[in-house]
Amino acid sequence: MRWNNCLIMTAFAALLGSSPSVAANFGTVVPIGGHASDIALDESRGVLYIANFTANRIEVMSTADFSIRTSMNVAPQPGALSLSPDSKYLLVAHYGSSETGDPSKNAVTLINLIDNTRQTFTTGDTPLGLAFLADGTAFIVTSNGILLFDPISGAMRTVATFATLAKTLPVDLATFPTQVILATVSTNPDRTFVYAIADNGTAQAFISYDARRGALYAMGLVAVPKPLPRIGVAADGSWALIGQYRVDAVADNLAQFPNSIASTNIGGNAVDSRAGVIYAQIIAAAAGSSSGTAASTTPVLNTLDAENLLVKESLSIPENITGRMTLSADAGLLYAVSDSGVMVFPVGRLNQQHRLMASVRDVVARGTFCNRNAITQTVTITDPGGGNTDFQLSTDTQGVTISPSSGITPATVQVRVDPTAFQNQNGTLSVAITISSATAVNRPLPIRLLINNRNPDQRGTFVSVPGYLTDLLADPVRNRFYIVAQDMDQVLVFDSTNYSQIAALKTSATPTQIAFTFDRKYLVIGHDNAQQAWVYDLDSLQRLDPIQFPPGHYPRSIAESGKTMLALVRSVAADAPGTIDRIDFVARNGIAMPSLGVYKNIVSPAGVLAPAPNGGAILAAMPDGNVMLYDSNADTFTVSRKDFTTLSGSYAASSYNTYVVGSNLLNASLVPAGVLETASGTASGFAFIDQGGFRTTTSSLTAPGVIESFDPTQGTATGKPTRLVEAPLLSSTSAAVSFPIGSGSGANVAMNFLRSLAPLYDRSGIISLSVSGFTVLPWSYAAAVAPPKITAVVNAADGKLPVAPGGLISVYGEQMSPVNLATSELPLPTALGESCLTVNGVSVPLLFVSSQQINGQLPFNVDGNAQMTLRTPGGISDNFNFSILPAAPSVFRSGMAGPETDLATITRDNGQLVTPTNPVHPGDTIVIWATGLGHTSPAIDAGIPSPADPLASAVIHPTVTLGGVGLNILYAGLTPGSVGLNQINATVPGSVPLGLSIPLVISQGGSSTTLNVRVVK
Amino acid sequence: MKTLLRSILVLTAAAAACFAQKWEFGGTAGGSFLNSSSVSGGPGSATAGFQSGGVFGGYVGFSQYKHIGGEIHYAYLQSNLKLTSGGSESTFSGQAHVVHYDLIFKTTRNSGKVQLFAAVGGGLKVFRGTGAQKAYIPLTLQYGYFTHTQELKPMASVGGGVKFALSKKVFLRTEIRDYITAFPKNIIAPPPGVKYSTILHDLVPMVTLGFEM
Repeated sequence: MRWNNCLIMTAFAALLGSSPSVAANFGTVVPIGGHASDIALDESRGVLYIANFTANRIEVMSTADFSIRTSMNVAPQPGALSLSPDSKYLLVAHYGSSETGDPSKNAVTLINLIDNTRQTFTTGDTPLGLAFLADGTAFIVTSNGILLFDPISGAMRTVATFATLAKTLPVDLATFPTQVILATVSTNPDRTFVYAIADNGTAQAFISYDARRGALYAMGLVAVPKPLPRIGVAADGSWALIGQYRVDAVADNLAQFPNSIASTNIGGNAVDSRAGVIYAQIIAAAAGSSSGTAASTTPVLNTLDAENLLVKESLSIPENITGRMTLSADAGLLYAVSDSGVMVFPVGRLNQQHRLMASVRDVVARGTFCNRNAITQTVTITDPGGGNTDFQLSTDTQGVTISPSSGITPATVQVRVDPTAFQNQNGTLSVAITISSATAVNRPLPIRLLINNRNPDQRGTFVSVPGYLTDLLADPVRNRFYIVAQDMDQVLVFDSTNYSQIAALKTSATPTQIAFTFDRKYLVIGHDNAQQAWVYDLDSLQRLDPIQFPPGHYPRSIAESGKTMLALVRSVAADAPGTIDRIDFVARNGIAMPSLGVYKNIVSPAGVLAPAPNGGAILAAMPDGNVMLYDSNADTFTVSRKDFTTLSGSYAASSYNTYVVGSNLLNASLVPAGVLETASGTASGFAFIDQGGFRTTTSSLTAPGVIESFDPTQGTATGKPTRLVEAPLLSSTSAAVSFPIGSGSGANVAMNFLRSLAPLYDRSGIISLSVSGFTVLPWSYAAAVAPPKITAVVNAADGKLPVAPGGLISVYGEQMSPVNLATSELPLPTALGESCLTVNGVSVPLLFVSSQQINGQLPFNVDGNAQMTLRTPGGISDNFNFSILPAAPSVFRSGMAGPETDLATITRDNGQLVTPTNPVHPGDTIVIWATGLGHTSPAIDAGIPSPADPLASAVIHPTVTLGGVGLNILYAGLTPGSVGLNQINATVPGSVPLGLSIPLVISQGGSSTTLNVRVVK
Repeated sequence: MKTLLRSILVLTAAAAACFAQKWEFGGTAGGSFLNSSSVSGGPGSATAGFQSGGVFGGYVGFSQYKHIGGEIHYAYLQSNLKLTSGGSESTFSGQAHVVHYDLIFKTTRNSGKVQLFAAVGGGLKVFRGTGAQKAYIPLTLQYGYFTHTQELKPMASVGGGVKFALSKKVFLRTEIRDYITAFPKNIIAPPPGVKYSTILHDLVPMVTLGFEM
C-alpha cells in the first residue's frame, strides 16, 4: 500500500513539473446554510452545537462524521451558546437589540438536553456572551452589565453595570453575526476563570472574573490595533489571548502578535496549554508595510508559541475563521466558527497530513580564490510526519541548479552553484529557494542560499546564522557574545573562543535590543510587541521575572548607566508616540519619566539608547535627527539637540565623552565634531575601543563591506579601509534593505539604528553582524601578513607518514591562518578562516585552521607524488612535496579514558576503548577507528559525509592480525555520517595469544601499522 | 569453571579411595581476610589485593583412626579486588572458589564431647574478576589492571579448631584456615615495571554445623 502511494505520488509529482503547484488545505468545512455566531462542544453526546444566528436554529453537528444531524429551532438571533459542566443544560443568548426596541427579545433560553424542555428568561439588556462556570451558574455579559444566572432557580443577579455596547438590528448587508455582537465570553477548561471583551465601536470593555474567589476585574481600553472579540484562555486562567493580545487578568500586555492589524471579522484562537501552543488566525500586515495592508488574503491557521506568539507552523485552510474556536478535551480536534458555518481541524493527527520541511534554513556556497569549481551542497526535504509528500524546489537565479527539483519526500537534493555566474560577486548574495507542494498543507519557509566568492584581499570569516538579526553585544566578563534573532524571538549566545552557539534564550514577541545591567550580571531584552522587558541571569542563563511597563508602552531600547536604567518605549497610550521610562529593576516595573530634565518626555519611538561603558551617560538618538544625553551625576537629561534632519545606522557612546551616530562624531555636548568618511558606503556598525574604535560600512548588502579603525586624534579621518568577506548589516531604514530570506514570524520591525559591531573584550577578535549571520575578524585584521609556509604533512590519526587518498591529514607550518577556527559545516568547506589548501590543484576540504596547523581531508582523486599549496591573505606558500600511497592505514591516537589521553581508538563490545583495564577477549568484536584506508566502493567525494546505505567499503581490503592470528573482518570502510573517518570491525578468534602487550597489525596494500593491546581470556 | 569441576572430581575420587569407618558432613559460613601485596616499581606507594568478604561452603570428612581423619572442603569466597594508594581505593567485583583436601589431627576420640583438631592439606583456589571492565579505573593504570577473567592457583591449607558435640549426631565446629597461594597476577595484573610481593594469605574463620553418620 505504501508502495502504491509512492507510485501515485510520483506520478502526481511528474504532472507538477509542467503545471504550477496549488497547496492543499487543512480542515473540513461544514456549511450550515446561515451565519454561525457561536459554538459549544458536547463531547458526552458526540455533538457540536452551532448557533445559526440568521436562521434562528441551533444546529447539532455530529463530531463523528461532521454532519448536521438535527436542528433545534429557537427564538430569534441565537448569538451565544454555553454548555453546563454536567452537560445537562445548553444556554442560548438571544440578541434582541433592534430598532423596534422590544426588550422581551433580549433573553436566554435554557435547554434541558436530557428531557428537551426549555425555559426562557428575559435579561432586559441584550445578552452578548455567556459561559457556564464550574459551580453550575452562568456568567452573562449584556449590553449594560454582567449577570450571574442560576439555571436551577432561574435567579439572575447583576454583578456589574457599564455603558451601552450593543449594536441594533437590522444591520448592513454582508455583516457577520460576530460583527453585530462584538463581544465574547470564554473560560479556561475547568471554568474557574472567565475572560470577556465587549466592543461599542470605539472602546472595549475588558472583563476578567475569578470564579473561585468571586473577584471581578473590569476596565475600559482602547487598543491599537483593536482586537477582535476572540478569546482563548490558558488552562490555569492566568492569561488569555484576546484577538492578537496575550494579556493577564489585569489586562497587562504580555505579548502581542507581530505586525497585526485590525480585522473586521476574520480571526479566532484556541489555547492548548498542555502542548504550549495556540491555534490562531490573526491578520497581519505585509512585511515592511506601514499601510496596514494584510500580508495575504489566503486563509491560514497558525500554530503559535503560547508564550511569545512566535509562529511555529502555518497551515493553509479552506476558508476564514470568523468566531470562536474550541478544542476537544484530548486536543485532537479543533472546531471553529467560519465563513460557511464551522470548520473542523484534526490537529491531533497533523502528522498524518502532508507537510514539508527542509533540513536547513541556510545553504552556504563558499567560493574561494583557491578554486572556482562548482560548489554543491545538500539539502534534505522531509515530511515531519514521515510521510511521502510531493515537493518542488525552485529559484529564478541563473547559475543555481537544483537536482532533483521535484520529487517525493524523503529526498536528498543537491544545490549546485556555478561560480562563473557569480565571479563578480565578492560579497554574499542571498538567493531564495522556494519550497512548494500540491499536497502539503503547511507553508514551509524558503531556504536561503548564500553565495560568496571572496578574493584574497577580503578579510574575515562569515558564520551562517539564519534570520533577522537586530543587535549584538559582547560580554565584558564572560567569553561570550549575544545576538538578537528577532524573527525567532531569541537571543543567541555564542562562545567567543570558538564562535559556536551555546544557547538560545527565549524572548517575548519581537525582541529589538539587549542591554547589560551595570553590574554585568543580567541581560535585559527589549521588545516591540510586548509591554515587558525580559531578564536573564547571565551566569546561569536562567530567565527571571520580567519588567512590566505601563499600558501601551513597548520597551524597544534599554540602557543602564551607573545611576539608573532607562528604556525608550514605543507608546500607543495617551503619551504617544514614544517616551523614556525609568526602570525599577528591583520592583520589576517601568514608569514614564514626568519630563526629561527641562524637556518634555516625548521622543521618537524608533530612537535608541546607548550607554557609555563607564556608566557616566546614556546617549539617545532618534531618526528625526534629535539627540539627547542623560548625565548620571545629574540624574537627568542635560543635552537635547537637533543638528540633523535624519539619523540612522550605527550608534555608540564612549567612556571619554565622545559619541557616534551614523557617520557623525559628537562631542561631550553632542555638538557635531566631525563627519566620518562616507565614500566607502553607509555606516553599519561602530564600536569604541578606549578612545579609538572600529567602524564598518558598505555600499550594498551584496558588496564586500569595509572595516576601518577610528583614530580619535583625527576626528574626521579613519584608518586604512579593509575589505570584508561580506557586507555588514544595515539598519532597516537604509536603502535596499529587505528582511532576510527565510526569516521567521518576528521579522517585521524596522530598526533605524543598528549595533552591528562588537570587539571582543579580550581583544582576540571582532564580531560584525553581516549578511549571512556574523563575520569574525582577527583583532589585527589589517596587519601585514607574512606568506604561509608548509613544513610537514602527516596523517591526522597517529601524526605519521604515509598518507592516503581520502585520509584525514594534519598539515603543519607557519602563518597558516590569522584566526583559529573549526567548522561543523557539512560538506566541509574548502576555505576556512582565510585559508585554503590545494593538492595538485585540487581543493582540500578543511576541518580546522590555526596559525601552525591545519586539519583536512585529502581528496580521493590524488595519489603518487603530490604538491601541496596553501593560500592565505599573506600570499601563497611554496609547494610542499610529499607522497600519497594508495592505502596508509593509521589508527587514531585521540582516545581518552579518565586522565589518560592519546590512547589508540579501538573499542570493544562495551563501547569503551581497549585499555589494559578493558582488554581484548577472545570472541570480542572490536572496532578499529582509523583513517587512510583509501578509495571506497561506492566512491564518496571528499568533504562529504559517508552514507549509511550503501556503506562505503574500502576497495583494498585490509588484514588485521593479533599476535600473528588473523582476525575475521566484518567491515572495513568509511564510517557512516562522518568525513574521512574509517572503521574496521573485526572479531577476535579464540586462538589468539594472551598477554599484556600483543601486537595488533593492520596491513593494507603494502602499508601496515602496529600497536600493542592486552589480551586476556 | 571447567578446571574447577575437574578438580572437584579428582579430589572426590581420592576420598573414595580411602575406606572410611565414620563419615561426617557439614555446612560452613565465615569470613575471608586477606593480606595485601605491596606494590613496588609504581609511581608511588600502593598495595594490591582483595577486600574481606563472606565465605560459604561445606565439607565431607571421615575418620578411620583415633587421631587422624580426612576432609574434602569446598568454599565460595566473596573477594573483591582492590588497589589502595595515598588514601584512595579502587575496587572491582570478584570472587574465589577453593577446593582442598586436609588431613585432620584430633585430640580425642570421635565420641568425645569436645574435640580439638588441626588441619593440613592442599588444593586449588580459583580467583575470578567479575566486575564491569572499563577503559579507565582510577589507580589501575599505574598499579595494576583489574581484569574480568579467572585464574587457578595451587593452594596450601593449614588451620585448626574445636568441635563441640551438640547431640549424638550433630556437632558444631569453629575453626580457622589459612589458604596460602601465589598472588593471582592475571586478575590484578601488574603493569610493566611494577612488582607485587608473591604470597597471598587468606585467613578464613568459619563456623560449621555438621552431622555424623
